[in-house]
Amino acid sequence: MGAAAFVRLENITKRFGTFTALDRINLDIAEGEFLTIVGPSGSGKSTLIRLLVGIDDVTSGTISLDGTRIDTVPANRRPTCMVFQSLALFPHMTVGQNIEFPLKLRKMAPDARRARALELLRLLRLPESYYAKRITQCSGGERQRVALARALAFDPRIIVFDEPLSALDYRLRKTLEKELKDLHARTGKTFVYITHSLEEAMVMSDRIAIMRAGRFEQIATAEQIYSQPVSRFVASFMGEVNLFDLNGSDWGGLPVKLSPQAQAAVAVPPDWRGAVMVRPELVRFLAPDETADFTLNGRLHAEYALGSRVQYTVQAGDTPVIVERPFEQRLGSRSGDPVRLGWDAGAVHLIAEVAHGTA
Amino acid sequence: MTDVRRSTRIALYGYGLLVLAVMYLPLVSVGFAAVSKARYLTFPIRRYTSEWMGAALTSPNVKDLVVTSLKVAVTVTVLSVILGFFGALAFARFQWRYRGLFQKLILLPIFFPQAVLGLALLIWFNALGVTPSWKTAVVAHLVWIAPITTLIIAIRAYSFDPALEEAARDMGASTTTVLREVTLPLLMPGIVSAGLFAFLLSWGNFPLSLFTSGVDATLPKWLYSRMVSGYTPQIPALGILSVIGSAALLLVGLALLRLLRRRN
Repeated sequence: MGAAAFVRLENITKRFGTFTALDRINLDIAEGEFLTIVGPSGSGKSTLIRLLVGIDDVTSGTISLDGTRIDTVPANRRPTCMVFQSLALFPHMTVGQNIEFPLKLRKMAPDARRARALELLRLLRLPESYYAKRITQCSGGERQRVALARALAFDPRIIVFDEPLSALDYRLRKTLEKELKDLHARTGKTFVYITHSLEEAMVMSDRIAIMRAGRFEQIATAEQIYSQPVSRFVASFMGEVNLFDLNGSDWGGLPVKLSPQAQAAVAVPPDWRGAVMVRPELVRFLAPDETADFTLNGRLHAEYALGSRVQYTVQAGDTPVIVERPFEQRLGSRSGDPVRLGWDAGAVHLIAEVAHGTA
Repeated sequence: MTDVRRSTRIALYGYGLLVLAVMYLPLVSVGFAAVSKARYLTFPIRRYTSEWMGAALTSPNVKDLVVTSLKVAVTVTVLSVILGFFGALAFARFQWRYRGLFQKLILLPIFFPQAVLGLALLIWFNALGVTPSWKTAVVAHLVWIAPITTLIIAIRAYSFDPALEEAARDMGASTTTVLREVTLPLLMPGIVSAGLFAFLLSWGNFPLSLFTSGVDATLPKWLYSRMVSGYTPQIPALGILSVIGSAALLLVGLALLRLLRRRN
């Protein structure tokens, strides 16, 4: 990104005592972007957004917004607003009072406050009668919407989300993910969202930043991360994929046969170390007369129904291979039956092994 | 509770009633002493009278005692709640280096024998050249009661989501606004309970007042001295009135807490 970044984090380090939570982080965020930071617990993603909104202070490095430094500005004067994991709705106030809280601090007149709160309730698809409701009378999903309405009432330049959906059940989470994406499109605000679920990130985000041990592993669009992960960590974070070890031309005992096209697709120097990634849905069961660039014999191990898809594990030598296909194309075979697998040269993605932290 | 057998249930009720009887029967006997016409309590009571109660209510001496006790109790309540509020924040809400030590030291005075604490404080006041009065009694009560209010408010503060204060600040609230709009209202049930405890403990306190209130007599101190010499049934009458007053205050406090709970 060019010099005109909306938000720029430069060389951010955060230490707690001797523990380094963030290690020289750089990140540019565009205006109106939906950026999701994904990482396991303890990867530093929560720390990062707490620095962004100013609840915690950076140990070193700078944060700027529209070219102006904001890391020295206290949280209550930063144009950022966080939707907390616990939502942090004030239990001693009504829904309306919660939404009006930032407006009241700005000394907006009661009538104008109320009008804005009702407008936000409509935007979040909550009935206006909720204005006088207690927070404790709202369900989990309604509380999410109230928290969002309150953040929008504050009207920040950036809204930051700290895993607000993690406590909800699966179906509600799926609904709210879509609503959030929709809300982002309607408001045009800059959203920075953190989650430990890459699946959630994929649904909503323009870009995804994958974090590991206080550094970014990869920052890219969902599509790029899905098809071209830069490391085993990123690949495995996305869920189940086939990662075959490859050292030069040694497949580590995997009984795979390669066509000339396949040879070209995995042509690497002899001292290359890394893995070949093949997504499970790109692996096919081959009929006896059928051929593919990569072919592999094995025995069917197990079948798992995943709703609209079926997943198979096939034992090829010592290596389990995962295959997925639509539910309509369920296999008639039983566990232990011999099967032949294949995939095309275009289905492989090479991941070079790099020492962590130098990427 | 349908799986509790009938005999077990009867035994449990019996036990409960026994405990209550042991706690309340002595108070009932004081009540009888207050309404007995005879100068010294004997059973059965032959003639009842309300004259001792009337005397207790109208005596100017008693009025002074009540005023002194009230002055001490109200001052102790206000100061111990303020001390307890900030103490509770340090106790429960903030991570700091000597927190563990603070948590232990602040609770220790609750377990000091009060008579010893009273005597020690008296010696301390003398050494400082302070003449004991109701004001020194306030200080003595605070040594014992402030830790209790701290503990009561801290229990409430422990269940407090720190994100609430962070969220308020994030949306533009200054430190004082956060305190006024978020921290105080959320700790209010704890503050009311603590205030109630502080008042009742100070109002009924004898051993600390005995040593540290000097010439200013509080109600319990005067009751004790009159029991030692110059007993009249006015003493149990006053005692019972004091208990009724405390109970009334307790009911008001509980109603207030209920109101707060409904609001939260």
